[in-house]
Amino acid sequence: MSHIDLELDRLKVKLMEMWDLVEYQLQSGREAMISADTELARKVLKLGKKVNNFDVKIDRMCENLLALYTPVAVDLRLVLATLKINANLERIGDTAEGISMFVKNREKLFNPEMLELTKAIKMFDEALSMFHECRIAYKTNNTEHALALIKRDKMLNKIYRKSDKIIAEYLRKNPDSIEEGLALFSIIKKLERVGDQITNIAEEIIFYQDAKVIKHKSKKKDKNNGKDK
Amino acid sequence: MGKKIKLEAIDLDAYYGDFHALKGINIAMEEKAVTAFIGPSGCGKSTFLRTFNRMNDYIEGFRVDGQILLDNKDIYQKNVRVDELRKEVGMVFQKPNPFPKSIYENVVYGLKIQGVKKKSVLDEAAETSLKRAALWDEVKDKLNKSALALSGGQQQRLCIARALAISPSVLLMDEPASALDPISTAKVEELIYELKNDYTIVIVTHNMQQAGRVSDYTAFFYMGELVEFNKTKTMFTSPKNERTQNYITGRFG
Repeated sequence: MSHIDLELDRLKVKLMEMWDLVEYQLQSGREAMISADTELARKVLKLGKKVNNFDVKIDRMCENLLALYTPVAVDLRLVLATLKINANLERIGDTAEGISMFVKNREKLFNPEMLELTKAIKMFDEALSMFHECRIAYKTNNTEHALALIKRDKMLNKIYRKSDKIIAEYLRKNPDSIEEGLALFSIIKKLERVGDQITNIAEEIIFYQDAKVIKHKSKKKDKNNGKDK
Repeated sequence: MGKKIKLEAIDLDAYYGDFHALKGINIAMEEKAVTAFIGPSGCGKSTFLRTFNRMNDYIEGFRVDGQILLDNKDIYQKNVRVDELRKEVGMVFQKPNPFPKSIYENVVYGLKIQGVKKKSVLDEAAETSLKRAALWDEVKDKLNKSALALSGGQQQRLCIARALAISPSVLLMDEPASALDPISTAKVEELIYELKNDYTIVIVTHNMQQAGRVSDYTAFFYMGELVEFNKTKTMFTSPKNERTQNYITGRFG
């Protein structure tokens, strides 16, 4: 194995470690939200520092690879894609922390009726599933898999777009739940962003593997699909 | 409309005796652009470069089939005068090879061979060529000193000035910076970048980063075949052929 292969492998391993950590944060954020588990929420928040360390470390590894190995072609695309995936993972970690912050501050269960009406849990599960599948697509270099994930983001967008009306209507009937409603709307908005970030990662997997830039095309397409509904 | 094609190979095969060195090469190179030839040792890139000014003609057993066109004229036609061809197609080699003469005499050597005697013409040619080769400021006060007293990097730029003095339209460079230190290499690369405004440049290099930095187009050769020819940006970001990718990423063989 050549030197550059060893370095690129190390980079991939580091990124997978970060991915696992962020997946744990997101999964735990869900559990903390459903069960109002403030301890678990605190744990998620604490892990943020570790994720940030990964972020800095991976950035530095990419910088060194570019400076010392001047990668080209597929190697260059891997380094460029890793830089962007890293940034998106860090933001997904931030989202998990943001959700956990709501859980920590509320210390109460969300109203099951509001959760059901907004489909917030369904949205969370879909985001988690997409994130997990995205990891598999990266690990197996499967661009078909990555492309399928981009299409799945539509479901999250749909739930998000309907959520403001649903929550507003609920709050008109239950004005005492304003704080809860706002918190839930924020969480839904954050989960919609997670879908976008997973889409970004999937696009980078396709760029790395197939040298195809699809990012603006897919977003335009999604936008149009959204208008059609 | 695309740029004018300056050099072209059509179904070119080259042989050293029984050895088939170049196999069915087809390529068209733009005028006033830099084209880099890359590939492992023995792939035929230098042989191919030397076909453009018929430098291989001196090698016993060497022969070509097919055509090499310079401005749409076949340079292997019998009526082509090789000395005239080489006025049009200059060459710079891997190791700086100045003559054991003064800096001035090195630059005007080609013109003198052509019969130019007028001192003012020779002086002007020397100054212009040395300026174009980005060497004038360093040698203008010592033009009569021996060229051999210059540093390796300066000697190579002197050889480029010597090649430019006879006003070629094409400059062939066979690993022109491989024997130079990084500073001299950077100067030669800078020079290539400047010269492409006026000349069509073909460069053979083993340095992938150099090919990336200086060339507009890159051709990858392997075992006498032209595997891929494309814009340098494409070759170094998303090559189409797996062999090209394996070579430029250092995973060849």
